[in-house]
Amino acid sequence: MTAKQNGQVLEKSPGYKRVMKWLKSSGKKPFGFQSEAWQYYAEGYSGLVNAPTGFGKTFSIFLAVVIDELSKTEPKKTKPGIRLIWITPLRSLAKDLARAMQEALTGLGMNWTVGVRNGDTTANEKLKQKRQMPEVLIITPESMHVLLAQKNTSGYFGQLQCIVADEWHELIGSKRGVMAELAISRIRGLVLAAHPERLLRIWGISATIGNMEQALEVLVPYDDVLKTIVRADVEKKIQIKSILPDHIEMLPWAGHLGLKLAEKLLPIIYGSKTTLIFTNTRGQAELWYQTLLARDENLAGQLAIHHGSIDHELRNWIEDAIHTGILKAVVCTSSLDLGVDFKPVDTVVQIGSPKGVARFLQRAGRSGHSPYETSKIYFLPTHALELVEAAAIKEAARTQNIESREPVVMSFDVLIQYLVTLAVGDGFNADQIFSEVKQTFAYRELLPEEWSWIMQFITTGGDSLTAYNEFNKVVLSDNLWKVESRQTALRHRLHIGTIVSDAMVKVKYISGGFVGMVEESFISRMKQGTSFTLAGRVLEFVMIKDMVVLVRKSKQKQALSPSWMGGRISLTSNLGAVLRQKYNETLYKQHEDEELDMILPLFQRQAQVSHVPKDDEFLVELIRTRDGYHLFAYPFEGRQVHEIMASLLAYRIGRIKPITFSIAMNDYGFELLSEQPIPLDEKEMKTHIKQLLSPENLAEDIVASINATEMARRKFRDIACIAGLVFQGYPGKYIANKHLQSSAALFFNVFSDYDKHNLLLRQAYDEAFYQQIEEPRLAAALHRIQASSVVIVETDRYTPLCFPIKVDSLRDNMSSEELSQRIARMTSETEKKNARRKNEH
Amino acid sequence: MNIECRGEQLILSKEKAIYWEREKMLIVSDLHIGKSAYFRKSGLQVPHTVGLSDLQRLSLLLKTYPTEKLLVTGDMFHNNMNSDAAAFAEWRKQYPDLQVILVKGNHDDLKNEDYRALDIEVHTREVISAPFRFVHEKPTIQDGYFNISGHIHPGVMLYGKARQRLRFPCFYFGSHCAILPAFSVFTGLYLLRPEAEDDRFYAITPDRIIQV
Repeated sequence: MTAKQNGQVLEKSPGYKRVMKWLKSSGKKPFGFQSEAWQYYAEGYSGLVNAPTGFGKTFSIFLAVVIDELSKTEPKKTKPGIRLIWITPLRSLAKDLARAMQEALTGLGMNWTVGVRNGDTTANEKLKQKRQMPEVLIITPESMHVLLAQKNTSGYFGQLQCIVADEWHELIGSKRGVMAELAISRIRGLVLAAHPERLLRIWGISATIGNMEQALEVLVPYDDVLKTIVRADVEKKIQIKSILPDHIEMLPWAGHLGLKLAEKLLPIIYGSKTTLIFTNTRGQAELWYQTLLARDENLAGQLAIHHGSIDHELRNWIEDAIHTGILKAVVCTSSLDLGVDFKPVDTVVQIGSPKGVARFLQRAGRSGHSPYETSKIYFLPTHALELVEAAAIKEAARTQNIESREPVVMSFDVLIQYLVTLAVGDGFNADQIFSEVKQTFAYRELLPEEWSWIMQFITTGGDSLTAYNEFNKVVLSDNLWKVESRQTALRHRLHIGTIVSDAMVKVKYISGGFVGMVEESFISRMKQGTSFTLAGRVLEFVMIKDMVVLVRKSKQKQALSPSWMGGRISLTSNLGAVLRQKYNETLYKQHEDEELDMILPLFQRQAQVSHVPKDDEFLVELIRTRDGYHLFAYPFEGRQVHEIMASLLAYRIGRIKPITFSIAMNDYGFELLSEQPIPLDEKEMKTHIKQLLSPENLAEDIVASINATEMARRKFRDIACIAGLVFQGYPGKYIANKHLQSSAALFFNVFSDYDKHNLLLRQAYDEAFYQQIEEPRLAAALHRIQASSVVIVETDRYTPLCFPIKVDSLRDNMSSEELSQRIARMTSETEKKNARRKNEH
Repeated sequence: MNIECRGEQLILSKEKAIYWEREKMLIVSDLHIGKSAYFRKSGLQVPHTVGLSDLQRLSLLLKTYPTEKLLVTGDMFHNNMNSDAAAFAEWRKQYPDLQVILVKGNHDDLKNEDYRALDIEVHTREVISAPFRFVHEKPTIQDGYFNISGHIHPGVMLYGKARQRLRFPCFYFGSHCAILPAFSVFTGLYLLRPEAEDDRFYAITPDRIIQV
């Protein structure tokens, strides 16, 4: 049957008629891609819907399932039970989704219920669900695994028709995506075992990413399933504008807070209905919240702060308040990146570099949500050079130069956790699960010997030859592998998930009332009476009791901001490439970007004291200062690639003559600093630099140059938690068992010394190599440098380009206040040097 | 490394022990025998060779230094009698003449008869052997004795050039007390920072001990 004929069949179906009637009555009509998705669904396809936010992507699949149900010939006979599992990456999405779906169901006069299940779901609600599962279950990947860790789960899926992975682009590049893959494989296995005739559909919904086809392959890896990509032909209009200082001198040469432009933000907030202000870290969000309130007291009560460390009840309240339009503005982090419709939000502000095109567009899409409305986003630079980034991101957005998301594969830690999850639940049959796992995209390369290692790891603890084997986590009973110890089961259930956070402690008012969470390491530095900010409040530390931080309201106006240890995100290669191009355009004024006009004086200064690199040039600055001999280089490849490239260069220079360097980097370039002169061939310096950055022998030199063990050790931290070796407990929950305390670093050492063939250890090294080192990207960058012309500048003072790198290297060990003072001093020193220079001439 | 403390000659071994030559006494702390087995029993995959290697190192020390007394400043056993403790019992039989003295630590929960069976002399608070007092946790009050303790698993961070940082277990010697590193390889580190002028740290690097 062709799609068209089928379309006619669809159009004649009672379900379609009913849905159309309901849409019409509420003054809506389906978008082309929605009808297309309904048709494919009716034909039995699985697939991926690619649509911008705000165009009813939810209904493209949700209503397809509804139509299918309503078209069934004997609807009266249908039993209750889950029809649709809707996986969302974020808890905050669930409530809004449920509301929208429930509205539709009520409108259609269907008696289906919509249930939400995630970390915030109350025990009471879960118990209710256990008695009677809702027809539509909105769930996070973690909660799906928690569900599988319960007894008698197989019965839940008797009526299941479809599994949807919403915001699939968010999940695919992470271990949470792998969790979704595994959960889908198991549920599919359960459904097909009980109902071999069932046509279980698997659909994803995704924003545009560079690798759409692969994203479909990861979600639906099965060869015997019909699958397709449905692309929306609607375009979301986005208006991007930079918040510019009156004068370039207003912007610091380096920095990451951007507070100096706070004044400029106020008119934007007042000119809009509701504004979301995105920052890159929680610490930055706290500071911005404080600053905005200090600038304008009228904002009190109309400004809120939202991030992952804030109590979820407070977050819920804020989200509701955004919906109802009470709030004028919300300072937030990636905690509000995703989600459905906040209708009143008409403006978004991004503070500092978003580091990638996709992320920026995602955030922009949070405003002007309804179809054909324009999304409005302002970019607020935190330091001068970010103006160029603003211009670059506009360009990349215009040309839809959007990054790919690499799927995570062969994560043994997630597989180990999954198998124990199944063992905690109903138990599993090893052959059955091996074949299911092997069909997933993440583990299609899994070897039988790796599988047996993993089985041994969870059943005998890895040693099968010891005289005493007290290890008995997963045991065989009635032909199924099960966890029999209640304690192990309880601990495992509490531990399901792949997001590993630092040890967090709850913060509570001494008079009662929960504020949020902070890192334990931050609190351990607190003394009684010192103040800090959290959830936008200034709090005075009183004491720690039972792992809860007790505080009272502080009389101080300002205080320390906890620096939550978020990984610093690196610039993507897409954005890096556009950035290099923009450097070209700035100096030659071949552009229409106001940002680039603004920054021109700084570029002229850079040109005067050094050089502005064109996109076919590779700039190296050799600077001699009191601190020593600096080499700055600017590949514009993001800090992660720079870290490796700098180590590589340091190693290769060290082969000429033993020399020690300290290394610093940012997204634009890197620095090597030594107390001794850097041994470069003075006559043939350009050729020499190229030789030193040659892509030949890259792999070997990387291994020799970086401390791979240290990188793997860092990666192992998460792996150990996910695989259940280190019990972190839930944030803020006290771990009572003192005898079981240990750390990932300890396990890393122990495995390195006593169990070299441990697959988790191998995974740590693999993750370090492919995720941290990004060898392919590094090689491409080195090839590009070979094809560029090298420009070398020798000078004795810091240049505008090198300045942020220099400052970034200081940031690690200093509080932001100390840092800003230090920056001010360094800037004035550079200025003085320039002035002196002028006088001498 | 040889050091002098209150007029006594002490040898710091890189196997995380102090040898007091005059008394023919070997002093160690925080053996945590049974920890790896306890972890395995709780479903955490610690290689069983970990516990054995601790005993091998102890044997090596007894071979290197003529020892009459083995003094443990606490946390000798972790939790309870298990396969690791059984391995220790086997090991103990090889040294019938060795006097084993334990100052109890917070993890030492064995029954009295277990200690008797293992021929271990148990002291709940302290052992005094002038000029030293051996205790598990560093006491807060000071008197004439020099305290030798364990408990915290001390470590130091060494900073190299190029922002390199390395962590090592260490011996700490202050004006009134010393802290031993944890003997067991299956223990973490608590990083110490110098607080007083005369604080001395002896970092245990893979090949030797260095004063920092």
